[in-house]
Amino acid sequence: MMKMKQIIMIKYGELTTKKENIQYFIRTLNQNIKEKLKDFSVTTHFDKGRLFIETTKKDHLLIIEKLKEVFGIHEIILGYKLETLEIEEIEKAIGELVAEETFTTFKIETKRSNKKIPLTSVEISKTIGAYLLKNLPNHKVDVHHPDLLIHVEMREQESYVYFKTIKGIGGYPVGTLGKGILMLSGGIDSPVAGYMTSKRGVKIECLYFESPPHTSLEAKNKVIQLATILSKYNGSIKLHVIHFTEIQEAIYKNIPHEYLITIMRRMMYRIAEKIAYQSKAKILINGESIGQVASQTLDSMKAINEVVKLPVIRPLACFDKLEIIDIAKKINTYETSILPYEDCCTIFVPKHPVIYPKINLCREYEACIPVDALIDQAIKNHEIIKINGQEKNDYEDLL
Amino acid sequence: MIYLDYSATTPVSYDVLETFNKVNKEFIGNPNSLHSLGVKSKSLINSATKQISDLFNVLDSEIIYTSGATESNNLALIGVALAHMKKGRHIIVSKLEHPSIYKICEYLESLGFSISYVNNDQEGLIDFEDLKHLVKEDTILVSICAVNSETGVRQPLKMIRQIIKKENTNCIFHSDMTQALGKIPVNFHDVDLASCSMHKIYGLKGIGLLYKNSRVSIMPLFHGSSASATIRPGTPPVALIASSAKAIRLATQDLDRRETFIKRLNEKIVKELSNYEGIVFNQTKYSIPHILNISLLNIRPETFIHAMEEYEIYLGTNTACASKELSSSVLAIYKDKKRASTTIRISLSHLTTTDEINRFLSSFKIVYNKLNDLVSK
Repeated sequence: MMKMKQIIMIKYGELTTKKENIQYFIRTLNQNIKEKLKDFSVTTHFDKGRLFIETTKKDHLLIIEKLKEVFGIHEIILGYKLETLEIEEIEKAIGELVAEETFTTFKIETKRSNKKIPLTSVEISKTIGAYLLKNLPNHKVDVHHPDLLIHVEMREQESYVYFKTIKGIGGYPVGTLGKGILMLSGGIDSPVAGYMTSKRGVKIECLYFESPPHTSLEAKNKVIQLATILSKYNGSIKLHVIHFTEIQEAIYKNIPHEYLITIMRRMMYRIAEKIAYQSKAKILINGESIGQVASQTLDSMKAINEVVKLPVIRPLACFDKLEIIDIAKKINTYETSILPYEDCCTIFVPKHPVIYPKINLCREYEACIPVDALIDQAIKNHEIIKINGQEKNDYEDLL
Repeated sequence: MIYLDYSATTPVSYDVLETFNKVNKEFIGNPNSLHSLGVKSKSLINSATKQISDLFNVLDSEIIYTSGATESNNLALIGVALAHMKKGRHIIVSKLEHPSIYKICEYLESLGFSISYVNNDQEGLIDFEDLKHLVKEDTILVSICAVNSETGVRQPLKMIRQIIKKENTNCIFHSDMTQALGKIPVNFHDVDLASCSMHKIYGLKGIGLLYKNSRVSIMPLFHGSSASATIRPGTPPVALIASSAKAIRLATQDLDRRETFIKRLNEKIVKELSNYEGIVFNQTKYSIPHILNISLLNIRPETFIHAMEEYEIYLGTNTACASKELSSSVLAIYKDKKRASTTIRISLSHLTTTDEINRFLSSFKIVYNKLNDLVSK
């Protein structure tokens, strides 16, 4: 029997359109994959078209599940590597492999990146097809709707055969586009915003504002849980926790209540930008959606956005709530997001928040509180929690 | 001591007890308290529940902790009856249930519900045709145990579910899985409601659970503060819950290997006891090997149990909860009163050793011959 080995192959997503720095994208993807699979023993190698993962057979399915959470992967393929470029040997191997498949019609699709092979792709397909027809009575070729599509890829020194492909989640490898600070509240929207930004290759760090005793430890744990889910896609995550109580109380005492939220958001944006500079992040990200609440009207966005210079990315700006919920369910953050713990945006909510805030009034009111001192203090005391990939069970020894 | 009554209860596993002790010492907060001690207790419960629900591939919210299988059965049957009485008042159970199910049925009858008892064949298997005829539009619930506690007969729940749902999609299907969990693979998705008990799987006495599919509504039996659980309110027993997660994890490992081993022990006993006259085996091709039920036709089971006790060998008669009565399961399968009134249950575990079985067999020989001689004179 011909020597063949099962192997996992990755087809890159949009990367193939990146001409100049494609090497950088693929190297990053390779690193991200290795990090994701650190609990398995795997070896990887890659070229411009494919990334290959070799591992023990028993782990294949588990690994494929993990790879479904890695951005930058277009397709995942479980195929067979043949250490040969001889058509006769490939034919024989395919003959053995298809014995385990049930089908009556088939089609062969050949790719040949090794142009030294004398036959063209079409000729190779025909030759192998003829072999199969001869050896498999009652089987037919159907080039339009085959039961079994047999892929053959002939590369420099070896060939690959595979039947099925599994869809990856696409996007760019996380980290290839730099870093961003995600304002993570614990609601439904912000985790989805984080997921979507990670998908575009941005490595996110999260920022959470806590106001004990007005917010509970459970609310914070919920955010840690959400960040943990996001870290499946993003790789390890730094969660910055800002102690926001003093700021919130200062605002509550000194500022007209219809402007509470506007000023609070302005303070949060300022802090987020400072954290971004410290972490060398290039953008701020949040889950705002136009018109969803008073602080997300266009006037509010304008009044709040003016305190920062960094671009603020709002991936959900034009999404309906139901569309956002669909994604939240898909990425598994929804169940956690709807846990009923107060966060600092839902406390201190005025009865009638301003819908059309005026920038000059914001500035006037802010003169009543020591903005810079409060912010410096909050940044100085901020806590960083490192969240690494896996959902950890704190009580493993007990359970 | 040779303990052969594992289906009545099991000795608690060392690891499970460790968890129980540790949690009792270190998690003093009421999980419903707001402060950090409460949060700590609650988060342990959440982790435990998650571990359990992951293992059964169900939602966290579908696991309800109870005091044991009897309460789970009560909550399932009475809870469904009260919540769905407007749709109908007909309930079906098998003739192979644990006594607690029959007691609940008697109670429900007194409330105006009507109970049908579905037949089984000679092998103990539910009579599918009979079940099909019994399920009517007003049938709100069918309850059939996964493994019969006396004879070990195992029911094909998935198939039974299909039959029920085909006749009446709204009919709810409950299964008492107390004797199945930890012995054979169980699948909660075969049913809408499932009862389990921890002390049958080397866990602690005083805790069990009810799996309740999220689409099924039931009426709570207890009413109280809804801080943590609406179906079964009350301060959750943190240490019992944590120890349950461990017990389930440990008991569902290695099922195949354990079953193979237990089957060998079972066969050894059957082979040896087949040499005696006056002994019949209440074991069908659907019985799991963990439970071996025999009838000593000429000897009162109580006498035999006590005589074996002198050799420090502990056996069961019927289900622990219904000794001194006829074995209703053996009667349902063999329709033989004498056979049903003389049953002995030998229940085996992966903890049982071949040496224990050898010693059991030699004591059995002495006791059986002595008692048999007495009665034949």
